[in-house]
Amino acid sequence: MAQAANSPSGFQLKPFTPEEDANLREALKRCSAATYESAAQFRKTGNTEHLPAIVLGVIERYVEPDLRAKLKDADDDLRIIEDLGIDSLTMMEIVILVEDVLQMTINNEELRHLRTVGDVKTFLDCKVRGLPLPQPTKFLPIEQIASIMPIQAPFLFLGEASVNAHGANAKYKISGQEFFLQGHFKGNPVLPASIMLEALGQLAVLFLLEGQVGEAGKSVDPKMIFFTSCEGVRCHRVCRPGDVLSLSIKPKRLKLPLATFEGQIRVGQEKAAIAEEITLTFAYAEEIVPPVVAVAPTVAVSAPAEQQAVVNA
Amino acid sequence: MRKVYITGVGFITSIGNDAARVSESLREMRHGMVLYPPFQKADVPVKVAAPIRDFQTDTTEAEDWVFPARYSLRRELLRGMAPHGVYAYCAMQQAVEDAKLTDADCSNPDTGLYAASGGSPFLLGYYLEKMRRHGVMRCQPLGVVASISGTVNFNLVSHFKIKGASTGFSSACASSAHALGFACDEIMLGRQQRMFVVGAEDGNTESILPFAGMRALSVQTDPSIASRPFDLARDGFVGTGGATVLVLESEAEVERRGAKIYCEVAGWGQASDGHNVAISHPEGTGLRVAITNALKATDLPPEAVDYVNAHATSTPIGDLSEIRALKTIFGNSPTRPAVSSTKALTGHGLSLAGAMEAGFCALAMREGFMPGSAHITRLDPACTGLNIIRATLPHRPGIVLSNSSGFGGANVAVIFRNAL
Repeated sequence: MAQAANSPSGFQLKPFTPEEDANLREALKRCSAATYESAAQFRKTGNTEHLPAIVLGVIERYVEPDLRAKLKDADDDLRIIEDLGIDSLTMMEIVILVEDVLQMTINNEELRHLRTVGDVKTFLDCKVRGLPLPQPTKFLPIEQIASIMPIQAPFLFLGEASVNAHGANAKYKISGQEFFLQGHFKGNPVLPASIMLEALGQLAVLFLLEGQVGEAGKSVDPKMIFFTSCEGVRCHRVCRPGDVLSLSIKPKRLKLPLATFEGQIRVGQEKAAIAEEITLTFAYAEEIVPPVVAVAPTVAVSAPAEQQAVVNA
Repeated sequence: MRKVYITGVGFITSIGNDAARVSESLREMRHGMVLYPPFQKADVPVKVAAPIRDFQTDTTEAEDWVFPARYSLRRELLRGMAPHGVYAYCAMQQAVEDAKLTDADCSNPDTGLYAASGGSPFLLGYYLEKMRRHGVMRCQPLGVVASISGTVNFNLVSHFKIKGASTGFSSACASSAHALGFACDEIMLGRQQRMFVVGAEDGNTESILPFAGMRALSVQTDPSIASRPFDLARDGFVGTGGATVLVLESEAEVERRGAKIYCEVAGWGQASDGHNVAISHPEGTGLRVAITNALKATDLPPEAVDYVNAHATSTPIGDLSEIRALKTIFGNSPTRPAVSSTKALTGHGLSLAGAMEAGFCALAMREGFMPGSAHITRLDPACTGLNIIRATLPHRPGIVLSNSSGFGGANVAVIFRNAL
């Protein structure tokens, strides 16, 4: 694997003639000057560091002006359809322009899974370098989460979740039926801060189990994941029954036996809690075993969430 | 049969981009022709066209297009539109406002839209060339819906959230008259309460110049006489584009909404020449039968007709065939109807023509005038016996006939009745 990464085979620089330059300028005439500059640099040098600027510049060109502000300080989790109002036809336009600018071909099947700006960046980076394409974001319904996780009800605090190479997101609705709410507090149910931290930790566990962690052929042992430490945990909002928590974690460092994540919880647009660092220990399973979830990869990759639920039922 | 009324109009035409301006141009017989810049080349024998003013749609990228500030079109909508899609959208907005229709009035199962356009040869050519040059996967995703015939109904039906009947008509220069006729039927038969009728054309180089090969276009270099139907020296038509939208409503809807009325669409008729793919029958037999059918449908004798808005495009053969049809129908009438062709002012709008001229008839009936037939210096002697009016008459016609004929010998005659 490491060797393949060091010898990119898919991208070959074509001479960037004045005519090509003129075509590039024409193609990017509605994008920012910086987009053109990045694209020209990329075409001259093949340096993939320019890709994020190119991708953002191309997407921005197709986003309605009133939504462009979102893109300005976007992180990689910004969703193309939901957050930017881009429909599948506009996505095609984006692809065609990207193909034109980067001189590559992207097929429909590859496109279908790109949901976030981060997905697009990673996808193009791999594509240009000729690396294997990353696994797309997986969407996991509650049944599937329960079948993967070592933690179970009544102590599982993840509803639907999505996992990709960069992190994981999940939702959890405080039902009011959680057993500890009877005493926390008396006649005044409030989700304990320790449970918020627990929920983020659980999402990190899900990431370790589902997020393509580790070397080829090895999988993380669900029995060997434990909490070790956390830092910079702050709560900003009291959460009560009825609130829907939006949890997200991102790996900061992954080196056997430690995995460190940053995490945050929102309720709607309000920040509820953040953890600068949550560290777990983990180990690989002794033997190469097929994943516990018996979902064929092709199904997990291509079927939308509803179909997966049916497959799993 | 239920009665059908025109209750709203919208125009983007070579003689005005709203009803007030169009009406003024018709009354004052002000034409829309110019020496069209794209034609001023040595290898283009045709010099005159009747373009749309205040819009710039001459590039293949819709985002570069310029249109009057009162219309706003988002990129999302524009990318699926041809130039005439934009004209139709603007005319539709006018018609909706004119008829004072709410969003709910437009979007319900009882309201439909029939449209006609020849598609956009301009964009179609560009997209196909792009496909040949850059490969099939580089085709603009919405290139198809922006350029093929049907683009107007696709765009307007989706944008205005039309829930009733919708389709496009394709009988060349009779297309939007067919759309009007069938829309009228939908209401008469009680299938729909309200119908939008749309005619539109790009009216640019790619939609006009192919007619040069057929020798159907005027090669006059003086814009003020290039289009002169019924004149002895007529030498072909002058191309134009734009859009017209008519709102048709049932009597029940007119009463319910207290709608303003232009006129009643009394009925229509159609017939085909069965003669030649591109040349009208020399005796105008198809058109004669179409008119006879329209009179029959409305239960009117020929002498009831006060004004005929002729199809006459200013081609030597076409005008003559219509002249003969009209003489057969009205020749023996003691009260001969006034006849004019407003194409002398607008040029020939192809698929747009039928709806545009029906719109002119609606204006004439509401405001009480009959537009004159412009640019006639020497009347074709073949017109003897017809009352071709060479100046606008300040009278409200009671019954109006509007003719349209298209390729393949398709003929449509629509009859309007004064309802004021």
